[in-house]
Amino acid sequence: MAQQKLQHFELHVLLAMLRLRDETYSVPLVLALEKRTGRPVAQAAVFIALRRLEKKGLVTSRLDEREGGRTRRYFKLTKPGVAAVKEHRMEHARLWRGLGRLLRAHKV
Amino acid sequence: MRRLLRRLLSDADRRSIESDLAELFEVRRRRDGDRAAARWLARQRLLYPFHLFADRLRGGIADWIAGLRGLGRDVPYSVRSLARAPALAATILLTVGVGLGSTTAMLSVVRAVLISPLPYAEPESLVWIYTDNPPFRFRFSVVDYRALEADHPAFSNVAAYQTQLVTITAGDRSERVVAKAVSGSYFPLLRQRPIVGRLFDPSDDRRDDPLAVVTHGFWQRHFGGDPAVPGATIALDGVVHTIVGVLQPPEGPLESSVAVFTAARWPVPKRKGPFFIMALGRLRADVPRAEALHTLRATNARLFPIWRSSYQDEKATWGMQDLKERVVGETGARLLLGLAAVACVLLIAWVNTVNLLIARALNRSRELAIRGALGASRGRLVQHLLAEAGVLAAGAAVVGLSVAAGAVRLIATYGGAYIPRIDEVALSGVVLGWLAGLALLSCLVIGLVPAIQTSRLRLQSALTSGGRSATDGPAARRLRRALVAVEFALATPLLVAAALVTASLDRLNRVDVGIDTARVLTAGVSLPGARYAENADRRAFWDRALARLAALPGVEAAALADSRPPHEGYNLNNFNLEDRPTPPGENQPICPWIAASPDFFKAVGLPLERGRLFDTRDLAGGPPVVIVDRAWASRFFPGAEVLGRRFQEGGCTTCPWITVVGVVGTVKFSGLESPDQGTVYYPFAGLPNGYLVLRAADPATLVAPVRQAVRQLDQSLPLTDIATGEELVSNSLATSRHLSVLVGMFALTAVALSLVGIYGVMVYFVQQHTRDIGIRLALGGEPSAMRRIVVAQGLRLVVVGVGLGVATAFFTGRLMRTMLFGISPTDPWMMAAVSLALVGVAAVACLAPARRAARLDPVTILREG
Repeated sequence: MAQQKLQHFELHVLLAMLRLRDETYSVPLVLALEKRTGRPVAQAAVFIALRRLEKKGLVTSRLDEREGGRTRRYFKLTKPGVAAVKEHRMEHARLWRGLGRLLRAHKV
Repeated sequence: MRRLLRRLLSDADRRSIESDLAELFEVRRRRDGDRAAARWLARQRLLYPFHLFADRLRGGIADWIAGLRGLGRDVPYSVRSLARAPALAATILLTVGVGLGSTTAMLSVVRAVLISPLPYAEPESLVWIYTDNPPFRFRFSVVDYRALEADHPAFSNVAAYQTQLVTITAGDRSERVVAKAVSGSYFPLLRQRPIVGRLFDPSDDRRDDPLAVVTHGFWQRHFGGDPAVPGATIALDGVVHTIVGVLQPPEGPLESSVAVFTAARWPVPKRKGPFFIMALGRLRADVPRAEALHTLRATNARLFPIWRSSYQDEKATWGMQDLKERVVGETGARLLLGLAAVACVLLIAWVNTVNLLIARALNRSRELAIRGALGASRGRLVQHLLAEAGVLAAGAAVVGLSVAAGAVRLIATYGGAYIPRIDEVALSGVVLGWLAGLALLSCLVIGLVPAIQTSRLRLQSALTSGGRSATDGPAARRLRRALVAVEFALATPLLVAAALVTASLDRLNRVDVGIDTARVLTAGVSLPGARYAENADRRAFWDRALARLAALPGVEAAALADSRPPHEGYNLNNFNLEDRPTPPGENQPICPWIAASPDFFKAVGLPLERGRLFDTRDLAGGPPVVIVDRAWASRFFPGAEVLGRRFQEGGCTTCPWITVVGVVGTVKFSGLESPDQGTVYYPFAGLPNGYLVLRAADPATLVAPVRQAVRQLDQSLPLTDIATGEELVSNSLATSRHLSVLVGMFALTAVALSLVGIYGVMVYFVQQHTRDIGIRLALGGEPSAMRRIVVAQGLRLVVVGVGLGVATAFFTGRLMRTMLFGISPTDPWMMAAVSLALVGVAAVACLAPARRAARLDPVTILREG
């Protein structure tokens, strides 16, 4: 399967999902992303990114409706999703190779 | 906001989002406090729709870009699929192509004539200045122009010109060309430049020697573009003129058809008239128009008392009009009618195409459904249909381009006589841009409607039902039927216009010109001033010419006149009747004055009703006499004796009295469409320009002998404007005839397209109702009843469309009033006849599908069903 193009924020969401290991929904993801980036994250942005990732086949979702209680849409990484994250990591690694030394030379 | 969210999200998603937001709110409330959390929640809710919308937009753009990649496949596929339906493709390419081409051609004419500014520097400040004597506007006299030249505070410059036909002689060759005698300020006012030598300037007005400026075309033709032409000479009407320069092209409408400009040498006037000068002015930028008009009137008011003895019409003043309006004249209405006609044809072509393409999409619904089932999104299917429309529109644009190029060439060739600024009509880049725009619009119009229709198809049912009847929803049916009604609604006013113009032409054709047109030949002769300077020289020539022509075999009479029927009586003159003098402050009566030799009346077959014709006494300088026609007699002296009545000409109080000595039959001189206002004939004695008027059983055969006879008298004299009586009438109707043919052609195209439309819909109707018809027939229904049902179905649409069209024609008809003669634009009989004719031919178009319905075999249908 051809590599799926991932937007920056979509990658963030996928990484957060990986960190949360199991099936998850938007609230833990928002909190995890806020904790890691140190910036407020809009729930809408996370939810929309998740639906987009679902369209791309990188995550799946199921609706969990409890009578008189909360409704949650749970999302889970698929194999192509994990593959996409790995592919990104490899690509970044290739891009970063040998740059650490050069960066250290630039005293900012 | 909630409504927007409802549209963008499913119920379950909305509930899950609310639930997640509530949970996050709780986290924040504990962490940041109630108020901060409430603010956060409000912001989240507010921003939600924007996030969603931005996402949709991004997705839409991405889909579109992906779709564009698909276009590369769609276009060849569309071409192949259209090639399998050649009749359909050809119909669409031709109809839309002709619509596009003719609309583009008309647009290019409208742009050149009505929209583009005149091709002079700062054209908006140029005006025509005229003598304003409502309802008449006429030219200036030399007196008027000299006064204006001396006093024009509102104008930066004024100029004058007079257009004449002159004979150019070179060796034994002579040619009649249009010459313009212009004031020295003419070229500076229009800010024109020479390409060689110089143009005139005001100092040339003070010289006496004959000077000429030639146009670029004339320079190329006669001097081969020789740059040494300044100083060369040409003989105009026998007078040798020195050429000072060549006018740089491109020339404006005032210079079109002119070959030579001469420096005007108008003699110092002894009286206010005659009025033959066109005056132009360039308005100063700082003077408002109202003030400019005021200064013109003030100058005229100062002039009036000085010339009272020869001009008493106190109501006459000076006026001005934008030069462009003056140049365009009344052509605007005709051009806009033409544009409306072609636009109607294009609209009908579009509607027809939409109808055909909807039918095609419906017939292909199974194919589209399969593509949908195989994963093509609705967007892809719509894009495929749009690509097909794009291929058709591009093809139609190519057809349209060639139609437009041909039409513009035709218009430029044949429209010169009645379309001003015809030299400027061309398929320019701008016009081609319009064609491209119209083609794009065509693509959207003919592609979007069928595409939207198709996207509404119930693809599932298209698959299960075998792709036939179940796909044609009531909406599609209604739309197709409405489109047919629209076609008839557009075609009807066009057909009404064509019928009105044709009826008007027919009435003009039946107008009695008053002369025996079948036995008359006319030809113009101009005697050059240099060789025929004296009145006696000219009279001697005319006498010899008439004697020689009368002796030609077949010639029954030979005569002279200065104007020809039915519309060349340009010499309109006012007069004051002795018995009924015009009160001060009122307009004197006016009518055409025609100079005619004694035999003129015999030559044109005009019977003498009372009194006598001209004889040698009148030509030899006896007391001035005139012959009037019946219309003149009944206009001024109804039921009374007209012989012996006297009047003075041109408002001249010191001129001798002129006596009426005869009454002849009425002749049209001011156009077939003008009411008879009477004509005055005065003796033709020694005028420099005239028409030979010959009577013969077969006038057309006389052209060569007449030419030879005149050449034997004076080798340098060319015959001009040779025409038989019938040609004169036919020429005067050329504009009406061309308009009638043009509008008629478009109307017939529109009707043909509408018939194709109704036929297509009815064939489809029968196809859709085959089973119902079969059942009815099986239950004992008469085939004739089936025929009636089908025809009635079709006619219902036609009647609605025609009704709408008649209403449109009724309300827009008044725009055509100036183009019609003897028939009202809302003539009820004409409307009724056109409506009946349209319904009739539509019924015939419905008959073929109706017959098919009646011939259906119920057994076969029910067995198959």
